[in-house]
Amino acid sequence: MTEAAATARREDEARRSARPRRRLSAWLAQERVFRWIPFILVEGTFVLVIIVPFILTIYISFLRWRANRPFEQATLSGFRNYEQVLTDAGFWAALGRTFYFAGAAVILELVIGFVLAMLVHRVVRFRRIYITVFLIPMMVVPVVAGYNFSMIYLDSGPLNQLLAPFVEPFGINPRIRWLSDPIAAQWAIILADVWQWTSLTFLIFLSGFSALPPQLINAARVMGASRRQIFFWVELPLLKPAIVIAVVIRSMEALKLFDPVVLLTFGGPGTSTQTIAYYLWEQVWQFNKFSFGAAASILLLIIFSVLIFTGIWALTRQSAASERARIQ
Amino acid sequence: MTDDAITPSSPPPTRRRRSRAPVVRHALLIGWAAIVMFPIFWMLQTSFKDSGEWVSWPPHWLPHNPTLKNYAQIFTFDVTGVAREATEQPFNIWGSLVDSLVICTVASLIALAMGTFLAYAISRFNVGGGKFRHMVLLIRMIPPIVVAIPLLMYYAILIPYATDSLFGARISLFDTRTGVSLLYLTITLPFVIWMMLSFIDEVPYTLEHAARVMGAGRLYTLRKVVLPLVASGMVVTFLFVFILNWAEFLLALTLTHPNVSTLPVLLNKFQSASEGRLYGPQAAIGTVITIPVVVLGVLIQKHLVKGFSFGMVRR
Amino acid sequence: MAQIVLRNLLKKFGGFTAVQGINLEIRDGEFLIMVGPSGCGKTTTLNMISGLVLPTSGQILIGDRDVTDEEPGERGLGMVFQDLALFPHMSVFDNIAFGLRVKSRPAAEIDSRVRAAAQAMHILPLLDKRPGQCSGGEAQRVALARTIVTKPSVYLMDEPLSSLDAKLRIDMRTELKHLHDELSGTFVYVTHDQAEAMTMADRIVVMNGGRIEQLGGPLDIYRRPATRFVAGFFGMPTMNFIDGEIVANGKAPEFHGPSVAAELSADLDRSLAGRRVVLGVRSEHVAAVASDTAGAMSGAVSVVEPLGDATLVFFDYGGEGRMVAKVDPDLAFAPGDDIHFRLDTGNCHLFDAESGVRLN
Repeated sequence: MTEAAATARREDEARRSARPRRRLSAWLAQERVFRWIPFILVEGTFVLVIIVPFILTIYISFLRWRANRPFEQATLSGFRNYEQVLTDAGFWAALGRTFYFAGAAVILELVIGFVLAMLVHRVVRFRRIYITVFLIPMMVVPVVAGYNFSMIYLDSGPLNQLLAPFVEPFGINPRIRWLSDPIAAQWAIILADVWQWTSLTFLIFLSGFSALPPQLINAARVMGASRRQIFFWVELPLLKPAIVIAVVIRSMEALKLFDPVVLLTFGGPGTSTQTIAYYLWEQVWQFNKFSFGAAASILLLIIFSVLIFTGIWALTRQSAASERARIQ
Repeated sequence: MTDDAITPSSPPPTRRRRSRAPVVRHALLIGWAAIVMFPIFWMLQTSFKDSGEWVSWPPHWLPHNPTLKNYAQIFTFDVTGVAREATEQPFNIWGSLVDSLVICTVASLIALAMGTFLAYAISRFNVGGGKFRHMVLLIRMIPPIVVAIPLLMYYAILIPYATDSLFGARISLFDTRTGVSLLYLTITLPFVIWMMLSFIDEVPYTLEHAARVMGAGRLYTLRKVVLPLVASGMVVTFLFVFILNWAEFLLALTLTHPNVSTLPVLLNKFQSASEGRLYGPQAAIGTVITIPVVVLGVLIQKHLVKGFSFGMVRR
Repeated sequence: MAQIVLRNLLKKFGGFTAVQGINLEIRDGEFLIMVGPSGCGKTTTLNMISGLVLPTSGQILIGDRDVTDEEPGERGLGMVFQDLALFPHMSVFDNIAFGLRVKSRPAAEIDSRVRAAAQAMHILPLLDKRPGQCSGGEAQRVALARTIVTKPSVYLMDEPLSSLDAKLRIDMRTELKHLHDELSGTFVYVTHDQAEAMTMADRIVVMNGGRIEQLGGPLDIYRRPATRFVAGFFGMPTMNFIDGEIVANGKAPEFHGPSVAAELSADLDRSLAGRRVVLGVRSEHVAAVASDTAGAMSGAVSVVEPLGDATLVFFDYGGEGRMVAKVDPDLAFAPGDDIHFRLDTGNCHLFDAESGVRLN
């Protein structure tokens, strides 16, 4: 046999006996498994547990259904429920109140968190301890935090005790029932939220401060800038990403305010501390107005979606800008 | 004069402030630390107070007659099960403890498994396209109340209706541990994916390449190379998600009554008691609910700090 | 010990063609280096040889086997990655032993083979340490030990030295060359550093834009670059390039550029007259001469860089950019001086102005 023929024969044999072909496709098949099965599992769960209920809710929102009648007998009633929600004073009041609470709480949290982060960033000793302590409120179960504050706001609670020396000279009974006054009750809730979530803004700002490049600040010092100038012209602009993140995240969460309301005031006195979440809960669980609740849920979802997308847009624009800055 | 050009117009501020500033800073920080710790301290000490001291005026900052009675009360075994009735004062913490533990553990574990799996797929194969990573967190942003009502209808109405027509048996997910676990699992999945994604991204893909060139199959590589490197990340993620589930209130409140009640729901039942509030046992329950979580949180705090830096920290 | 053959190897990523149907025969036991700028396709080619990337079309043969469809693990390869890819959670011993453990070798055999490989790479004392505890050079040797322990026939290396500092890199070059001689395996090495390619390779493959520009030994590539790209890629400082055209002038054609003229070799193809070309000449072939020498051209010195054994003189010659001459270190030039220079016509390279292809 000639050389060429022998070589050709060997190559042919090699190709025929190549069972590796199966192995390669096994790996590829595995890759297909790894790619799609988790995706389908997770998406499937979302669809089953979130999407389907929502479709059901949309259907219910078009029904005229009271809780005392069985579901099967409910009749379609068009947009009536939506009208009811949109004209309901309680709904709008609760919504407005929610924005008010969220706004006040978030502003306080931003300011206090910022100051705390600035201070902690500059101290040398005990820094770890401060950080650990300041993070604790975030980890307290919100319900428990609500309960704690209800204890503190008691007419025979420590808050009144601390304030007693300041109010007694005016002839006021120091045993003030804070939660019986609408304005005080509102601020009680706002302050409870501030107590708990300042930790988060603190954390975000601390990261922001830690990320400040010392070179830039040194360069400014060499060029003779004063502390105040450095703060406003160099540090604050560099902290903008942190501020945006803190604002967006905290605002979104603050609008969901529910736990402290239930634990502290039950929405009272009257309806003065009802947030939108509480209001909705009451409508469905106390008054059993299911269709109303369904329509309100959908409306709320739309409102919140707009807010969420605004938030995401702000966040992505911010992260894109800081990416560009970092590359330079 | 040439000297004017050299000397600064105002004296350098640092030299003067150096003696005063740290004291002021520490004072402020200690002040806030006191504000932070006070409610927790108050709850702790109330839990050791006898009933006579609960609403005394002026309030006692430390119990004059410390007692363990409150803890004994909540930890008694109530064989008759009467404690679960909505109208009665529930003394017994065991039922809720079990409910909370089971729900949180099961939901967190399953979420961890599914989420890690998907995070791996996203990291290595870019499943779902570029935007998917960020879209995943979207779900989390929806306020729970918006989900609560649909889910109530779903669990209490649609599912029994569906299973009735399909299997002839009305199975309701309302007021069941399964129902709550399923929901918790779904809403914490985004977090698991987000966190595990960052951990898996840190494992260089070349490690898997190297293993593959040396003849290792994919499962072997995952087992021996990838998983050991993300193990600590998995622990942190599990704890984070567990804490989230443990603290969850609104959804548990709306979807369970009266058979299942998680610990936060139990605490609330005390709150709405009409006659004489039992502050002592309530404080004890609050302590049981929260102290383990705080301890866990302190343990994983390093990762929390890292996680919330949102890429601001320069690598 | 295996020869590698690449036939019409093509790789596309979506619309982008990374490797444009190349053909290459790598000889058994040689040290072949693929070199080129980033994006030229060298790493993609290496990944196709290893099996980590599937070619769009074409064939890869290792030994006599067509391995195009085979798993990387089946091809009998050893590979060293740019970031070394050492498993950080395993000890050095376990890292080296990984390939053997995958094949379920008996423990005693694993132990002896790992130790032998560690011995060969001088890292025996490191066996219980983690890769994180090793220095750059030590980690490099661990990665090498991991490849040699499985006794592969082919060694693939993807820029393994790029993470080392300069001095260590030069030491490792010698070690790698030595390793190659000892193991007598086929080394396929990828780098973007032309100095590495020159010092270590038996043959060099120069790649650019997914194509092979030239294949040959280091000195061939240096002395007779096949294209303008190859000429500019090798040699420090970079070759001087002068635009101009070929003018027929009686006996011998001449090159005419801006303020520069050079006589060309008489046996140059006459049909090239009138062609627009680029003249390439290395700095060591630009001689500084006295102003009255025949055929001397002049320029103005702009930067002087003494190297010790020679001096680099950068000067403006009237055309675009600067030229650089490598001159005797004793000649004193200062910025602003006049310099008179001549080109060594025997060592001039002519490239077509458009295609870059070598003309002489």
